[in-house]
Order: sequence, then structure tokens, then C-alpha cells
Amino acid sequence: MLAEVMQAAGVHPILNHEGSNQLPGLTSTLLARSGPSGRLPADERAIGLFEVDEGSMPTILPQIARPHAVVITNIFRDQLDRYLEPDFVTGMLERVLRKLPAETTLVLNADDPRLAYLAAELKNPRLYFGIADTAHDRAGPDPSSDSPRCPRCGGELVYGCVFYAQLGHWRCGGCGLSRPAPHVEAAKVELLGAVSSRLQLTSPTGETVLGVPFPGLYNAYNALAAVAAAIGCQLPDSACLAIEHCTPGSFRMERVVVAGHDVYLVLAKNANGFTEVLRALLKDGQPKRMMLGLNDCAGKQPDTSWIWDADFGSLRGAVPAAVVSGNRSADLAVRLKYAAGLACTDAATELTVEPDPVRAFQFALGGTPAGDPLWVVSTSVVLRQLRRWLRRQGYAGQPWRDQPGAAS
Amino acid sequence: MTAMRITLGHLYPDLMSTYGDRGNVETIVCRCGWRGIATDVIELRLGDRIRADEIDLIVIGSGGEAQQAMVASDLAKTKGPGIRDAVEQGAAALAVGTGFELFGRFCQPGDGPELPGAGLFDAYTVRRRSALGGHYETPTEARADRAVGELLVRCGDALLAGFENHSGGTYLGPTAQPLGEVICGYGNCGDGREGVWLRNAVGTNLRGPCLPKNPLLADFLIRAALARRHAVADLLPLPDELEQAAHQAAVRRARQPVRSVASRAASIVLDRSVRRPGSATAPRRRTVGVRRGKGQPPDGHAASPANDGASERGLRSGRGR
Repeated sequence: MLAEVMQAAGVHPILNHEGSNQLPGLTSTLLARSGPSGRLPADERAIGLFEVDEGSMPTILPQIARPHAVVITNIFRDQLDRYLEPDFVTGMLERVLRKLPAETTLVLNADDPRLAYLAAELKNPRLYFGIADTAHDRAGPDPSSDSPRCPRCGGELVYGCVFYAQLGHWRCGGCGLSRPAPHVEAAKVELLGAVSSRLQLTSPTGETVLGVPFPGLYNAYNALAAVAAAIGCQLPDSACLAIEHCTPGSFRMERVVVAGHDVYLVLAKNANGFTEVLRALLKDGQPKRMMLGLNDCAGKQPDTSWIWDADFGSLRGAVPAAVVSGNRSADLAVRLKYAAGLACTDAATELTVEPDPVRAFQFALGGTPAGDPLWVVSTSVVLRQLRRWLRRQGYAGQPWRDQPGAAS
Repeated sequence: MTAMRITLGHLYPDLMSTYGDRGNVETIVCRCGWRGIATDVIELRLGDRIRADEIDLIVIGSGGEAQQAMVASDLAKTKGPGIRDAVEQGAAALAVGTGFELFGRFCQPGDGPELPGAGLFDAYTVRRRSALGGHYETPTEARADRAVGELLVRCGDALLAGFENHSGGTYLGPTAQPLGEVICGYGNCGDGREGVWLRNAVGTNLRGPCLPKNPLLADFLIRAALARRHAVADLLPLPDELEQAAHQAAVRRARQPVRSVASRAASIVLDRSVRRPGSATAPRRRTVGVRRGKGQPPDGHAASPANDGASERGLRSGRGR
């Protein structure tokens, strides 16, 4: 989204794609853009726009001399087997931020209590974004929250409004520390079916309505972060409207037409991701056919316990048939059995387990009524294997542009 | 069958559930429900007391190290007596990860003072980082100090499968019975033993969470809770095809020769002085972090009379040791 905004503002982003967000990926991104001399072509309007994996921040950020802005959208439990607990990630990011030059703007999510006061003693300018619209209050703690404590005193947080996970209008019951007032705020978020949303935005320069071509509150946060970052980089806010023209990035609601069915490929790789993707897809109340995938990366991310922190309750009664796939499909099937009462004798969902992604997809598609869409929600390996097969079959011709604007 | 009902005390559901631990509670509730047994889940938070006669099954999950420090004194002082009494009276208990560590006598964290434990198990934990002092700069550095990977445990004639991700070495006192023998993985402290088993209480490093893919262990706990409340121990069998498939897949993963990068890192030998300020019984030197290495407890920690007359009956019989 931010790349699209930059393009519209007439600057030329040099960006990496998701999946190449660690040091080797970033290096190869830059090398690919460099000439034979090993230098990037001279371009006054070029700007580096890097998505950086949280674990790689300590190695990558110090190598960027004077970043305009550092954007952090949230700290969720993710890859506990690699990055340990969120408290560790929080502390690690604070140590990284303390090494930044004082003029780098910190663009932070006011609704995430882990982020709002990150390295609070720093004098760096801060730009907060957040959601004001309490119509999306979950009215109670979200089961997928891991209940962070007050960043100042460790006290218990109380919420006037919970959007999802630990994100919301929070205040410490102990010391009174509270969510800072956002500079960029969504006064209203309209979730439009399973594919898009519309935001009423308030920013330092006025109010505007922004169409976001992606579903769910999580993408509303992404759009707010992009707008706040654009302001942090002194781009004109008219350019922010370019977000409306973003095309889905790789596996971000990527659409492929197969045998008359719209097939959507949706990446979900941690508890909050799975929870929010399913909530966004099923919010319109229309029954949907689904293929759900779970894999581990052998030797790299063997821990899939996070599926028990994801809320699969939204599936109940909304999914007439689901096919479960991936090398950890057995674990996901058990999770669904216990979570949504799926796979029980009287269950409303017909559950099939097929570890092989291609066979699972063929089975799921075969069971989908003619013309109906199929939603594939999965961790990445299953999606990659599936797309490779789809390409070989000639279906996924132009899955996403290898151009700025694609990485949302 | 008359209406049966058990009470499950879930300790610190907000703080000690970082690793999908609520899945263990969900598993108990579902497996009871499918058999027509009602489960009252009482959430026990900071400050809440435990009434031993009220609780049939105690569950504590695994929180982060910060959360562990947050609950330690509450667990030891406010809840410890109730937990010990309940288990003494036959209540079932499941303690996992950092919760398991706190059910022992004490836990020495990576930095900061020693944390008191609930004193249920004759065991204590020393976090390896305490041998290094200070914090980690990068995830790679932090991972090198942890046991991360599949964990396979033989418990009588049964296998328990799960995932371990911990930096603590848990040392059993002479009266403590391990839950089982490590087939693959690290376990308590690399001495080939895993977990603790006391009456109907089980402490373990098995995460994943462990009950969904080890229905045998889940039913052991349910049977014990039911026996305490209703003096019956018969459970209707359930169709467990999905659970067994997940169990067998976990066993196969554990037996694969390739272990994760992270768990190989855990086998690095660290032989540093253990800094334990304020502890008179501190060992001077210890080898820590050796897979399948020495796991002898250091001197100075006498046994507590926690475990009397452990029976040898296994998980299947429905009575703990």
C-alpha cells in the first residue's frame, strides 16, 4: 500500500517482497537493482521501502544510515519456536530503536499496548495510528489475545473497546497509562463483504474517505499504517488515495479462476492472522467452501501450538465443507474438531483430511457447487505448492505484479 | 448414568497460556462433554485462593518468563497450600512448561531473584541463561540456549508425544518420580527423564498442546477427577481417529533423524559459572545444556517429603502413582 502511495507521490520506491524480508532477501533485492559497479543507479527520487522480518531488525536496521521512518504495526505471538515470546521481541525492538538517529520518525499502532510506548524515553518524533470506531468492539477479551500487561507498571489493562487480539482502546488499571491519541485515525470502518473495506480517516491535514481493496480490520490497520508512514515521509496526503488501486499481494486474497470457480489464496500464518482472516471472510454470513492448510517448515518452524490460540469459532455453521491439508493437517483437523465441533457425527461441516495440497485442492474444488468460489486459507508452504501446480496447469498466469504496490 | 460434573481450576488463563495452552482445557471440556460429563471451569487469577475440596482437576499452562515471575509468589503463597491439599486428596493436575517449573520448589530465572514454587513436586529449575547472565541480543543467540523440538516420552507401555521449547533445566529430587523416559528430545535436564508424576498430578515439558494429541493422558486426568468427585472411574470410549492420527504423526516427526536447527543448538555444551546471588546453596560450577548429559542435581537441596508410596500403575489404569 505504501509503495502505491509513493508511486502516486512521484517517488520511486525500491522495495523487497514478503518472503525476502531477511538480510539475504534484502541484499538480493538491492543487488538486482544495482548496475555492474555494484551501485544503485543515481535517482534523486528513489526511496528504500523495506519490509523487515522482526527477528532480522537487529541485523538490518543498523545498516540503514538515516531511515526517515520505522513503521511497526503490531507485536503478536508468532513463531515462538524462532522468536520466543512477544516480550522478548518487544525488548529486542526497543534495543534496536535506541540505536536510531534522533530524527527518525516512529510510526506506531496506538491500539497495541506493546507498541504505543515502545522505548518511551526516546525523543524521536512519533506518529500514532489507530481505530476509533467502537462499532467493531468485541465486547470482551478476544480469546486470541495473549493479554499483555501495562508497559510502564506491569499492571492489568482494562479495555473500553477490543478490536481483536490485544488491539483496542486500552488503559492501565494500575498507573493509568493509556492509549495515546492517534494522529491518523479511522473514525469509521465499513467492512464490505469478504473482499474490501472503506475507512473514514482523520489525519493532521483533514478528513477523507479511503477505499481499501482488502477485507478485515487487520487490513484497515495496514492502510492506517501506510497513511501514517506517508505522512512521516512528508508525502502529500492526496497520494494516500492510491491505496484504493492496490492489487492483492502474493497470497493476500489473490484470486485465480479455475474451472469456472473463483479461487482465493489467503495466507494465514499465526493465531491472530488465522483468526482475523476467517472472521473477515465469514463476516457477511454467506456459507463458504474452504480448504484450510497447515504446515511446518521442517527444522525451522516446527511449533504449531498457535492454532490453539486461534479462534475458529467463526467457522461454526458457516462452512458446509472444509478440506484440511498440509503436513500438519492432522493437528489442524483435531483443532477443528475441538474448536468448532467440526468432525463430530452431528457436525454441520463435512471435514476431509488430505495432507497433499494438490489432491486436497482437487477434492475441495470437486465438492464446490458450480460457479461458487473456493477459499484456500493456509500457511505458506501449502499455498506455494498449490500455486506452483496451478501455474503448471496454466491457471495462475499473472498472480501478482512484481512491481511496487504489490506488497501490501 | 446420573448427571456427572467435575470442576476444573484453570490457573492464570490470561498470563500462563502463551503456547496454545488453553487447548488443554478445551480438550478436557470437550472430552467430558462428549461423554455427558459437565465441566465447570473456574478461572483462578492473581489473588484468587484455591479451595482444595472444590477442585477436581487443576491445569496450569506455560507463560513467558516475565509472566512466570509475575505469578510465582501468588502461586506459592496464595494457591500453593490449596494445590498441595487437593492433590493429596486425589485431585488431578496438569502443569506444563513454565507452569510445571513453578509447581516445583523453586525456579532460578535467567536474571532476577529466585522464584518460589508451589512446592507440589520435589523438583527445582535453573534457567540456563542464569549461567550467562544478562539478555540475548538476537533470536539466534536466544535459541542457542533453549531445547526446542519434538519430545517423545515413554510412560509405562504408552508413548506421549509433544513439543518442547524451554531454557530451563528441571532437576528432580530423590522422592520425585519422572513422568517417563525420554525417547527423543531433551526432557527435564538432559538426564533422560521427563516430567514429574505425583499421585494424579502430572508436570511436563510436553507442549503442542499435549492433551489434544495424547488423549490417553487427557482421559487419565478426567478419570482421576471423576473418581475423586463421583467415585467412578469408567469412561466411555470416544472415536479418536483424528487424535490418534495426530499422535502418530508427532511420533514419526520425533523419530525423524533430522532435528531442528534450534534443538541442535540446544545441545551445545555451556560450562560456565552459575551466578546465583543470595543463594547459600548455589553450586559453584555446573555443566548445563548437554543433551543426554549429566543431570545430577547440585548438592544442598534436600528431598521434601512430597511423594509417598507411589504406585506403579500406569496411565491406562486411571490411578496415579
